[in-house]
Amino acid sequence: MHFTLPVFIYFLMENKNNICEERFFTAFFKSNVKSLRNYLLYKFGNEEQAEDITQEAFVKLWQNCKDIPIEKAKSYLYTVANNASLNVISHQKVILEYSKNNKLDDRNNENPEHILEQKQFKEKLLKAINTINETQRIAFLMHRIDGKKYSEIAEELNISVKAVEKRIHLALIEIKKEITNFK
Amino acid sequence: MEEKYMLAKWINNELTTEEMNDFKKSQDYSIYKNIKEYSAQLKTKEFDEDDLLNKIKLRKNDSTKVIQIAQNWFFRIVALILISLGVFMFYQENNSVVEFVEKGHKSTFVLPDNSEITLNSDSELKYKDKNWENNRILHLTGEAYFKVAKGKKFEVNTNLGKVTVLGTQFNVKARNNRFDVVCFEGKVKVNYNDKTIILKQSDKVSFENNDLIIQKKTAETMPSWLENEIVFDQEQLKNILEEIERQYNISIKCDLESTNQLFTGEIPNNNIEVALQIIATTFQLKTKKVSNFQYELKKMDEI
Repeated sequence: MHFTLPVFIYFLMENKNNICEERFFTAFFKSNVKSLRNYLLYKFGNEEQAEDITQEAFVKLWQNCKDIPIEKAKSYLYTVANNASLNVISHQKVILEYSKNNKLDDRNNENPEHILEQKQFKEKLLKAINTINETQRIAFLMHRIDGKKYSEIAEELNISVKAVEKRIHLALIEIKKEITNFK
Repeated sequence: MEEKYMLAKWINNELTTEEMNDFKKSQDYSIYKNIKEYSAQLKTKEFDEDDLLNKIKLRKNDSTKVIQIAQNWFFRIVALILISLGVFMFYQENNSVVEFVEKGHKSTFVLPDNSEITLNSDSELKYKDKNWENNRILHLTGEAYFKVAKGKKFEVNTNLGKVTVLGTQFNVKARNNRFDVVCFEGKVKVNYNDKTIILKQSDKVSFENNDLIIQKKTAETMPSWLENEIVFDQEQLKNILEEIERQYNISIKCDLESTNQLFTGEIPNNNIEVALQIIATTFQLKTKKVSNFQYELKKMDEI
């Protein structure tokens, strides 16, 4: 019986650092699924593909959970998703929408001309986002829609913070250019 | 260099007040401001996270091998073989020669090995031109007379049975459920269901509805239909009328649906009036010509 304790400790340590346990996995899933799915959506513009690959990445993560410590899980997830998306070539229009009941809209409610202008600008902005370079769009939308910090984006894309800044800076210039051209 | 990513700093609210004031003066400021404001309102469509989680949990115990099996070299080879086989068969199938003779006609043609074949009316013969000498297999629908050149095994497949020969002359007829083979020279082997019969010169066999109905010697030296005669041996009325329809390319309407009486005899295949008269008399029917292509047979007592 004297070996029971070491075995028990070993067992605890084994579980502490991996996400095989369902509650760890579920928590990890909840905190990362939307961000991964959105990232893939910015990449392909197709919700179905984005969700399929999200599913694939989480399944792989769980199947290999014994070999992946929790601190590496996030980068594993994005690596699997990126590999899986190598086969997906075609890029479709990213389907985005504007949230309603925004203060900004209410403020100018009394002026119909301004409302029309706003509407036109929103349309141009969507078009422009779809026209710009993929890497720039991904970084830009991760910041604008998911509200991620530059450091988080850098970690997920596996690039430096400076590179993220560069992408977002260029994205803004390109979007502005596109919008001005539409006029 | 700092200037370079100024916009990124600005949209992340990292600019100093001084920098901000400078930027506000630039002519593009209003448009950038709009981009910043409106892009903050953007969102993606909602999706069902719980549903996705459930799917993932269900798949946890999928064997990971499901994907790996497809990558296994053994299955790759099997798949490759199956695909090549498919392509090969497709190619072979497309490579076959089809000879077809319409109703009221006959046709003689020569196979690559100089074997001679005469097709009777409304018959079709299919074979593969390529590598014929080593692979003498053909598929027959209807009736044909074969004068086979000496050589390797020669096989005639029909829906009813199979005839195999070495070098000979023989007639095969496979119509409806009736299968007749007559051997005029040499030897032929006939397979019908699980029966195998070897025919020598002047032997004749007929099968109908899974039974051997005739096996005897014949005095004929070549098929009667080549000499403008139609010969029947214990034949049903239905088959006889169909044969006449084929030979003369006409249609015959007959009241008498079924009879047990069988007919043995000859009728000409170049005189329709005489031919029909012979049959009508035998089965106690009366003939009526509707048009050049239509005849009617009626029971005697009805008129």
